[in-house]
Amino acid sequence: MAEGNHTVIRAKDVYKIFRLGQEKVRALNGVSLQIGVGEFVAIVGTSGSGKSTLLNMLAGLDKPTRGEIVIAGRHIEKMNEAGLVKFRREHVGFIFQSYNLLPQFDAVENVALPLSFRGVSREVRNAQAVEALKLVGLEKYLKHHPMEMSGGQQQRVGIARALVLKPEIIFADEPTGNLDSKTTKDILKLMWRLVWEEKQTLVMVTHDNKIAGYADRQIRILDGKIVADHYK
Amino acid sequence: MRAVDKMRMSVQSLLKRRLRTVLTILGVVIGIAAIVIMMALGEGMNRASMDMIEQYGGIRTVTVREGNNNAQTGTDGGKKGGDPLALKLSDETVEMIRGMEHVELASPVLEFQAVIKSGQYEASVWGGQGMELSALRDKNWKFKDGDFPKEGEPLKFIYGNQVLMDFRNSKTNQGYYDTGVMPDIDLMNSTLFTIFDTDAYYQSKNSSGAQLPEEIGEGEAPAAQPKKYIIPTAGVLQGGEDDYYEYSWSVYCDIEALKNQLKKVYKNKPIPGQPVKTNGSPYKKLYYNSIYVKVDEIDNVQPLQQMLSDMGYQADSDAEWISQMQEQSRAQQAMLGGIGAVALLVAAIGIANTMMMSIYERTKEIGVMKVLGCDLKDIRDLFLIEAAFIGFVGGVLGIGMSYGVCAIINAISKAQTAIIPLWLDPAALAFAVFVGMAAGFMPSKRAMALSPLAAIRNE
Repeated sequence: MAEGNHTVIRAKDVYKIFRLGQEKVRALNGVSLQIGVGEFVAIVGTSGSGKSTLLNMLAGLDKPTRGEIVIAGRHIEKMNEAGLVKFRREHVGFIFQSYNLLPQFDAVENVALPLSFRGVSREVRNAQAVEALKLVGLEKYLKHHPMEMSGGQQQRVGIARALVLKPEIIFADEPTGNLDSKTTKDILKLMWRLVWEEKQTLVMVTHDNKIAGYADRQIRILDGKIVADHYK
Repeated sequence: MRAVDKMRMSVQSLLKRRLRTVLTILGVVIGIAAIVIMMALGEGMNRASMDMIEQYGGIRTVTVREGNNNAQTGTDGGKKGGDPLALKLSDETVEMIRGMEHVELASPVLEFQAVIKSGQYEASVWGGQGMELSALRDKNWKFKDGDFPKEGEPLKFIYGNQVLMDFRNSKTNQGYYDTGVMPDIDLMNSTLFTIFDTDAYYQSKNSSGAQLPEEIGEGEAPAAQPKKYIIPTAGVLQGGEDDYYEYSWSVYCDIEALKNQLKKVYKNKPIPGQPVKTNGSPYKKLYYNSIYVKVDEIDNVQPLQQMLSDMGYQADSDAEWISQMQEQSRAQQAMLGGIGAVALLVAAIGIANTMMMSIYERTKEIGVMKVLGCDLKDIRDLFLIEAAFIGFVGGVLGIGMSYGVCAIINAISKAQTAIIPLWLDPAALAFAVFVGMAAGFMPSKRAMALSPLAAIRNE
């Protein structure tokens, strides 16, 4: 496997085995892949295929049973929990299906939240948050709280929150799963634009082939194995 | 995360759940107020008993009396056992005690007896005391009239507030306790005749009946009238007829003036109460009845007392009684504090419960924060700060409430029944914060251990 400077994710023979009583469930059954800088990758699969498990591994939320995962030059399969948190803080952005904005904060504060975890001062991080919100087209909603925004707007805040860190890689877990088809289109276009304009690497998990079609590259997963991997 | 951001976030999540926060804080308010009020009541009792001790005489005072010679026949009994004056109290003894560690003040006390007459009234004084002016002043007396005598003045008396009740009408032979009427004597301004040689006075009284001639000549028969002296009054001490103090029944004066007076009265005859040589003649120097010793700190009273006893003197103080009393009031305080502590314990459980609930509710939020890279320690801190904040606000309000309740108690009881000592404010506040954090510790650990995967589970 050739590994150039442009590779940001490298996974090799990754296994994840859950025990359910006597039974062993192989959620991931030997997955290897590489993702380069600036790629917009969709991991596609049905429910239970192991796509979410793979995302958890790649994002450093969970550890593989076996195999190695190198992200931005760091082996994350060896890190303890505190190390993983630090790793995510410094290298990873995350977009959730149900947005997961904090209801007590307004848009700016929500976007600035990960920066506050880095110890950035309020002034600096709020300015950066405003910039990120402009990028996603929410400059008119800076002081709105999540309850006062539509699903699409909330997801834009979620995207801004992932962007604001300028992370090496952004993971998105069914980012349009809770949205109607028109808003889904808008959000996907936004993500696609950001990947191009900001040279951002983005890995998205979805069960929907149509949505996966927006990505530059589709990795199809079935029963814990990669069954197809092709560029647009 | 910056400390400011942690604080802001904690306060924001408390404000988000306003009603629950207020109720939890209310629990702490009641708990802290209960403890502070109970301790204030204990302190009030403590002060009351301390005041009582102060009234009954100084709490740092040791009274030294002459030692018993028979007790001194131990190691150097041969030398001292034979000397009847060895353990008597002389000026040298006073100097020796003055030189001891922790002694603030030492004054000889010379007791005298006298009969005081005013018009048809007369009173016998048994334990009149002459002390150095510095020792008299040390007693913190308050005067109803007059003041201490001045240095170098001829003899003047200070009367206790109940001495007046000792005067009897010599014609009817009735006193205050027979008639219930206070003798009509102005101790400050009327002329008071004092007879020091009481033995001679009573002898002459018995031999010559009730009538006494005003002046007596010298060298008359043994039953002759002793001489009367006019001793002015320096002051009368504070207190009504029912107020009993250590000084109430006594007459006090400057010891130097007293010595001069007694020398004048008795000339070459022995002064009553003083030791005499085998031939009946007096010693050259005076011996004292006791020595009044003031110690610098209450804790040093008992060691000094022990040292003096070991030297063979009799040394008494209220230290034992006081320490017993203190122990008693400490026990009372502990008991009262314990009652308050139960209330605070309940409040602490309330805090822990609120925090646990909050964590279950915020499982997802905590997960999101973890996914976004919030440090585990920061998450723990956020919850600890919330709990500490509940403790802090509850503590401040609780202390405020205690002041209110104590003011009400004092107003109703018309006395200082509940006293909040100054140290209790910061202590109670620190304790409230500590209890809050202790109650929040387990929940915060729980929050730290929550899985970040909870954030991406979609319900």
